[in-house]
Formats: sequence, C-alpha cells, structure tokens
Amino acid sequence: MRTADTLVRGLGAGALAGLAGGLVSGAALSRVGALPPTASLVRADAAVAGFVVHVLIAVVLGAGFGLLVWYQRSGAGETLFWGLTYGALWWFLGPLTLMSLLLLGFLAWDVHSAQEALPSLIGYLLYGGVTGLALALLRRDRGETAPGSWWGVVGRGALAGLVAAWLLGILLDAQGQLHAFSAVMAGPARSAAWIATLLIGVAAGAGYALLYPRPPEGTGPGLVRGTVYGFFWWIIGPLTVLPLASGGKLAWSLEAARAGFPALPAFLLFGAALAVGYQWLDGLVRVLFSDMVAAADREGLGTEGLRAIGRGALAGLVGGTLFTLVMIQIGALGAFARLIGSASPLAGLVVQVVIADLIGVSYGLLFRRQSYDVGSALGWGLSYGFFWWILGPLTLQPLFLGTAPRWTAEVAAGLFPSLIGHLAFGAGLGVVFHLLEARHNPWWVPRSRMEAARVARRKEQVLTSAPALWTLVVAIALVLPIILGM
Amino acid sequence: MSSSMRRDLAAGAAAGLIGGLAFAWAMQAQGLRAAAGLAGLSSTGTGVALEILAAILIGAGYGAIFRYQPFAYAATISSGVLYGLLWWIAGPLTLAPLLLGRGPGWSLQEADAALPSLVGHVLYGALTGLSFYALVSLYRRARPGAEVVAEPPAAPTRRVVILGGGFGGVSTAQRLEQLFARDPHLEIALVSQSNYLLFTPMLAEVASSGLEAQHISAPVRAACPHTRFVRAEVEGVDTATQVVRVRASPSVPVETLPYDHLALALGSVPNFYGLPGLEEHTFTLKTLDDATRLRNHAIALLERADVERSADERRRMLTFVVAGGGFAGTEMIAELLDLVHGVLRYYPNIQAHEPRFVLVHSGERILPEISAPLADYALRKLRTRGIEFMLNTRVAGASVDAVLVGDGGRIETHTLVWTAGNQPHPLLRTLPCERNRAGAVVADTTLRVVGLDNVWAAGDCAQIPDVNNEGRPCPPTAQHALRQGQVVAGNVAAVLRGQPLWEFRYRTIGTLVALGHRTAVAELRGWKFSGLLAWFMWRTVYLSKLPGLEKKVRVALDWTIDLFFPRDIVLTSHAATPTLAQTIGARSEVASAGATGPGAPAAADVRLEGGA
Repeated sequence: MRTADTLVRGLGAGALAGLAGGLVSGAALSRVGALPPTASLVRADAAVAGFVVHVLIAVVLGAGFGLLVWYQRSGAGETLFWGLTYGALWWFLGPLTLMSLLLLGFLAWDVHSAQEALPSLIGYLLYGGVTGLALALLRRDRGETAPGSWWGVVGRGALAGLVAAWLLGILLDAQGQLHAFSAVMAGPARSAAWIATLLIGVAAGAGYALLYPRPPEGTGPGLVRGTVYGFFWWIIGPLTVLPLASGGKLAWSLEAARAGFPALPAFLLFGAALAVGYQWLDGLVRVLFSDMVAAADREGLGTEGLRAIGRGALAGLVGGTLFTLVMIQIGALGAFARLIGSASPLAGLVVQVVIADLIGVSYGLLFRRQSYDVGSALGWGLSYGFFWWILGPLTLQPLFLGTAPRWTAEVAAGLFPSLIGHLAFGAGLGVVFHLLEARHNPWWVPRSRMEAARVARRKEQVLTSAPALWTLVVAIALVLPIILGM
Repeated sequence: MSSSMRRDLAAGAAAGLIGGLAFAWAMQAQGLRAAAGLAGLSSTGTGVALEILAAILIGAGYGAIFRYQPFAYAATISSGVLYGLLWWIAGPLTLAPLLLGRGPGWSLQEADAALPSLVGHVLYGALTGLSFYALVSLYRRARPGAEVVAEPPAAPTRRVVILGGGFGGVSTAQRLEQLFARDPHLEIALVSQSNYLLFTPMLAEVASSGLEAQHISAPVRAACPHTRFVRAEVEGVDTATQVVRVRASPSVPVETLPYDHLALALGSVPNFYGLPGLEEHTFTLKTLDDATRLRNHAIALLERADVERSADERRRMLTFVVAGGGFAGTEMIAELLDLVHGVLRYYPNIQAHEPRFVLVHSGERILPEISAPLADYALRKLRTRGIEFMLNTRVAGASVDAVLVGDGGRIETHTLVWTAGNQPHPLLRTLPCERNRAGAVVADTTLRVVGLDNVWAAGDCAQIPDVNNEGRPCPPTAQHALRQGQVVAGNVAAVLRGQPLWEFRYRTIGTLVALGHRTAVAELRGWKFSGLLAWFMWRTVYLSKLPGLEKKVRVALDWTIDLFFPRDIVLTSHAATPTLAQTIGARSEVASAGATGPGAPAAADVRLEGGA
C-alpha cells in the first residue's frame, strides 16, 4: 500500500540520513584505518577513495533504512534503536559476507576475521545510530505531539541522569576505569574523572529525555531501552569520544575494546537505572502536576497486582527449571550454594529456585500487559534474562560472596554458559508469563469497541523500537563476548 | 486454526526454504557442515536435504510465533534475526552436541568454533523474515478479499444472562470470562439491583461501626471487566422465547435481554411469615444500606437516650432485640453489644447496666448449624457478657416501640433486627418449573433447573441435591454459592462446546462464627476451635476471601486502626431512622400482653431457619 509519493519520501529522507551517518562513521573509520577494504572495492588504494565509497554505500543503505522504518512509529527514540540494529545487521552482511566474498572470495565468518572486523562493527553501529537520529530529525513532521514543556522534560532527564551517573561513577571506579575519564578534563585525576562522569550522566539523561519525552507505559520495556541506550553511550563514550579527546585516537581495535570492556556492564546498568529513574520521575510529575485528568486512562498500579505477582512467580519457576538444567550441565550449582554458605548442591538448587521465583515476580510486575504474542514475550523475556546476567553473576554474585566484581572480557567469556542459561531462563519466563496472561486475561482480544481502541493503542506501542531492542540485545550479548573473549 | 495462521505457517515454511537454501550454500562455501546431527552422515546429499527440511520447519515456526503484521517491514526482519540467533543457541550449541553424544556445548570455545554458524543464522533469519513478509504481502495483494484485514469485535453469537450479583452470580460471570477469554463471540450479561458484590460475613461489623461500608464490597464492574453489567430490576423471565425483561428504574421502559443460557443466582430475601408489623418496623441485614441504617439508628438512640428523662422511654431506646439465633443473628447481637459498650463512655448519662441485648430464638440452642459444644460455648460466653437469650421463643409481631414474643410476652424496644427467616427471591414463583416448599427452584446435580431448557441455578435461590449427603439440599452458604456458580459456568461452556457436564460436588470446608470482641468459634472438618485462635482464623480466612486486593488492604487497615482508636460514632444520616420519628408518645398498635383479640393474627407456626 505504498504510494509512489511515500516511496520517494522514505527513500529521500533515508538517503539524507544515511549521508549524515556515512560522513560521521566514515571519518571515524578512516581514522582507525579500516577503510582500505572499502577502497579496494573500487580497486583504488587512496584513503579518500575509500571514504567516498563508504559514504556512497552509506547513502544507499540509508535509503533502504528509510524505506524499512517509514511505517514504524516515528520519534527519535524509536529510529535510534532501529538504526543501531540496522547497522549491526549490515556489519554481518557487509564486511563479513559481501565484501569478503567480493574481495577475498570466501566468507569471513570465523572468529579471527570477526576480530579483525571489530572496528568496522563499531563503525557500523555508530553509522546506524547517527542515521537513526538523523532520520528522526527529518521525520519530525510525523512526530507525536510535543510535551508541554521541553525544559521540564530535559530537566527531568538531566536529574535522572545525574543520579544514575553517580551509580556509574561508583561502578567505573570499582573497575578501575574511571581514570579514562579524567584525561578529558584538567585537574586532579580523580575529581576530574568524577566530574566528567557526572557530566556524561547529565548529558545522557538529557539525551534520553529528548529521545523519549513520553516514556512508554511499562517499566520493563523502559529498563530494556535504557540498557541498550547505555550500550550506545559505551560506544560513544569510552570507545570513541573520550579517546579522541584525550589522545586523538579511537579505541576500536581489539585490544582497545578489550581494555574498555569493563566499562560496558557499568554503562548498561547506568542506562537501565537512568531509564527507570526517568520513567518514575516522569510518572511522579504526571501524577502530581498534570492537569489532564480526563486523558488519564490509568487502571491503577495495584489492579491485578496480586495476579501479576502470582503469574510471575509461576513463570519464574518454569524459567528457573530451564536455568537449573543449564546450571547442572555446566556444574555451577555450587556457586549458588556458596551464597548462603553451604556446600551441598541441594542448597544451591533451593537458593536458585528462590532467586528465579523472585526474578519472575519482578518480571510480572515490570512487564505485565506488555506482550501480546509469543514473539514479543520471547523478546522481552530474553532481554530481561540478559539484564539479569549482567546484574546477577557479573555483579551481585561476587558481591555476595565477598569479592569485588571483575568485568574483564575474560570473566565475561568465562560466564558465557551462564549467559546461555540466563537467556533460556528469560525465554521461559517470558513465554510462560504470556501464556498465563493469555489464559486468564488476554487484553489484546477486543471485547467491545472501547477495548478495541485500547488494544490498538497497545499494539501500536509494542510495534515501536521493541523488536529492534530484543534483537540488538541478544545479538550483542552473544557476539561481543565471543569476539572479545578469546 | 484460523486462515491467517495457516497463511503465516505456509509463508513461513516457504521463507524458511529460501533462507535454508542460502544458508546451506553459505555453509558449503565455508566448507562446514552445520545443523544438528549431520556430521556423522556420509552422504552430503542427505545432509543437505535434512538441513533444508529443518530450515522449512524452523521457518514455519517463525511464521507461527511472530505472525504477520502489515507495515512492519523492519520488525519482521529483526524478529527473523532474533529467531535465527535463538536457533543458533538451540541448534549448533545445544542439540548438535547432544545428538552426537557429547554434552551441550555452551562454553566459549565451542561458541567460538560455532561463530560462522552464528553469522549464517543471522543472515538466515534476516532472509527468512524478509521473504516471509514479501510472500505474505504478495499473497494478500493477489487475494485482497481472502481474509478480514483487521479483526473487529465480532457480533456475539451466544448470550448468557446471569440474574443476581451476589456470590453465585459474580462467580459464574468470572468463570465464564476465564473460559471464554479468547472468544469474543460470547456475550455475558449480569443483571443486578445493586452494583456491588456484598461480602455478607462482614456486614455485622459494618453495622457496629467496626468497618467502613464500602470496604467490604467490590463493584461488579471491576470484578467482572468483560461482562456487560445491567443495573436493573428483573421484571420477568419468558422461558418460551428465552427473554428476560428488566427495568432500570420505574420511569424507564422495560428492556428485553435475549439469552441462550440463563443463570439464576437471585439469592434470598427476608421472610417475615406474614407476622404483623415486621416488614415496617424491623431492620434486616441484606444490603449495605441496611447495615448503615442500623448503625445510624443505634447511635441515634444512644444520642436520644443520653438526654431522655422518661425511664420507660430510656428502656425502650436502650433495648436491642435480634430475632434468630443463627450465624447472622448471633454475630449481630454480639457486635451490637460491642458497639454500645465500646462507645458508652461518650454518653455520661447512660449507665453501664442500662443497655439490654436480647436474642430471641425459636430453637432449643443457638447456632444449630455447628456442633453442640461450640454452640454451648458461644451461649456461655455471650451470656457472661450480658446478652439475654430467649430460647424456644418465637416473635409474634412488632410495632414501633415493642416486640411481641411467644405466648404474650412483650419486649419494649425500638430496635428489632430480623435474621430469623429467608425465602428465595419471589421472582422464582413466576417461572414454570418445579419449586420446593420454600419457593426455591429445584435443580439437578449438574445445576440445571428441572423442567426448563438452558436455565441454570446457583446459590440460595436453588435447591441442589448434595451428592455427599444423600441428596439432601445443599446448605445456603456463600462457599456453596461461589462454587456452584463456577460449576454453572463450566457447564454452560460444556454445553456450548459439546462436552460432558460437570456434577456439583462440594463438602463444606468449615464454618466460622464471630462472636465479637476477639472471640469466635470455628469448626473445620471436625476440628473445633474457640476463643482468640478462632477469632484470628475468622479474620484471616475472611480477609483472604474478600474480593480484590484493594479491599483486602482497606479492611486490614480498618482492623489495624481499630486496635488503636475507639469506634466511630459519627451519625452519617438522621433521616435514616424513620422509626425514631415516631418515638415518644406513640402508642402501640398491636394488642398488648397476650390478648388475641379480633383482627390480631396468631403467631404463625413456622420453622425458623438460621439466617444466611
């Protein structure tokens, strides 16, 4: 049902956005020296040729991007994540597949080739992000109504970012990554680093608020969005802008990325805290100060609260069973037992089941009424499972056992089986919770015109950047440890 | 399976084929064998064929899980990638090593070795998603009218009407909502005079100012969000044409509700047995309004008695009579005593010995439904507190300032609470079916009304044989009504789906009676409890049964506040007590002291049943 007019508009806007993304990423890539392969596509050697080719490819890809996301919900926040996913997908398709086929004659899918292509992965992610943001700017005419006061929105975001940045600083400090921030500012290293961190937090918070002036209804989706947003800031911050500002180089090579890896979980948690904090702040402001009484269609936080908790507990049990199978397979039950100071595997099993139940209950409260089919349930569940891999084995478990968490790439690589287990847990959790909801209260089946309107709104909301988030989370969760861990 | 699901499955399978071919070519180009359990196969042809088959099945799975959404190009591709990644975990990392006899390969080394397969799966997923979308779009363009584009709410093809908004009716509606959660073709309608589900066990506490009225009732619309609620009086039921006539208010014309299945849950109304003066001068305990009126009446009497000088009038004001020694009556008299004595300190002119509480009961012992030792315990406890019991006595009539009892006895009082008789709703008399002596419709063990088609009954308005008790009628309790409602819903669903019917089978789990002031008696499957422990049990059990988390929290808060603050004596309405309008000076209209003169009817010979 696309008219020629829409076609042209989508292509045009996308091409322009792709141009912007291509310029930025091309400049960065040429700095890193990753453009020669692109140059050899046209059998030239000069870096300039590579840059031009890269920009041309970027424009074409951008046009395709514009077409693909034209019918997604507009809004800066949505297209940013679609862009990131698009960039990641084109990294798989481009350097790894098509370019190596054309240039070298075979598919460069093994680990070494992927490690060599790491700079271009980050470059493509950056390209995708910038393209997405540019497209959002170009599509502003289709945007939703602006909030009442942009200053209030930015202020709330900045406040949430400030609080989350405090958390970020603590985490970075624990990993010894804080010094990287100090190089940007003048002054005593530590306080300079802290100030830099807080500034980054404020900027990230304000940026998040601008991306999502009206946060979605669910806290859970907000949490996932924040996590991916933190990932984006990890790419921009420690990998790109900070090294540029302090030493004039980008930290995109394998070694540099490995060195900067410990900051990644910190940024992920920072993003999640930022998103949740902003959402609550926004909700609080709306409850206290909003005059739009008639438009409030709130069912109330407590409605069906017990039922959500019950379903979440049951779903957590099922997911926990899957997780247990994985854990038994890799022999990691002992770690859970040590949490309460015991040594028997049975104690470990009990502890783990209890934890799985609690996480299930939290899933029920955060993600209720957010999934309307098995696909979205899988997506949210997997994302939540990944989040708990970061929070659990990487962060809380060492803390409870008395040691400081270490977030190096080797540790993450060593916890790769646990990642699989957590993904399986999340998938089981999401699907079972959805099935329970469907059995008792499938809110997406319309019973009347009023309900149909509510159903349509929810469906539309789910068709935002949520699919992009799910895919990006799982892809990055799987690929990065593999590439960086060996 | 709907046509759209079939379409999605087929398109998914075809898309999986396309993706699988590309994947197989890529893997071959890499010199790798991918997919599960194929490394041992010597013939590459078979291996490839199995791979293709797996890709087709996986593609069909994609279609079934993620479905088609118009305009969702990007979402389809990214979901495909996600799906491909999941199958990378499930396939090469998990199933392949398992099929080869090793353990699942989740370590980083094995993941590293399988990285090419990961990239292949990503591209497989993207290609599958893209092809899926393209195929379905082409299909829809080629056959534009093949299916409904959106799924608008279909007009309901079946209608179930439930009469009555008590435990029976609401539980029927809730269970029907669950059973037909995904089926918009059934319309459930509930007709009730009041828009709330009343939690009757706590009504006595509302009347004694221990709980707020709104906290013990849940709005039916909130409890049954997918039911069409009609707040109206039922004028009549025409079983021949299967239509219910309702009227929202006297000034509004009658509305007709057609039904395919009718559930009767009308409950019971007070039965005054034709005794003179009862209907005008007594308080019943059937609705929130009744309880609030009684509470206001009692407090207003205390206010008047505080300034009243005439000794006779004071006696009338401070005497409280409850008729009926069943659960409701006993709980009520105990609560009234708690109320009056709890607030007496506010009324300095009323002496502690003045208030008088009388329970009139026609039987030998109170609380006939529970075992004798517990009933005796209750009797002793309440007597110690100062309640008078007139056993083996019947109420003969009432007036504005007196109650006639037994053979000529007379109690001077302005307050008579009637819990001594219930009868099924009078509407049932208009139905062309069998009824028992009390007027309840006779139903069989599947809760179908005998003699009528597609009419079901639950609760106090029905006589249902108890299979555990040799066919004797089930007792009229809330726990029975609740479960009968669920069985009615299950049987309506069974009839609509052509499945066998369920029988109603339930044994009373237990009975609990509150006796005011931290005392209760409880009997659970033979285990007897009394005193403080029983009181805890009563509060816990009934709090858990209260419908809705919000009300549970509110009632729990009310009870907690009661621990620290005295009862509330705020009079919310003066006009709620018409009896008081005719207090001082009014003459009794019924002949006094035993005379059975002309025109004064004899005390009716009835068997007083315990209150609901």
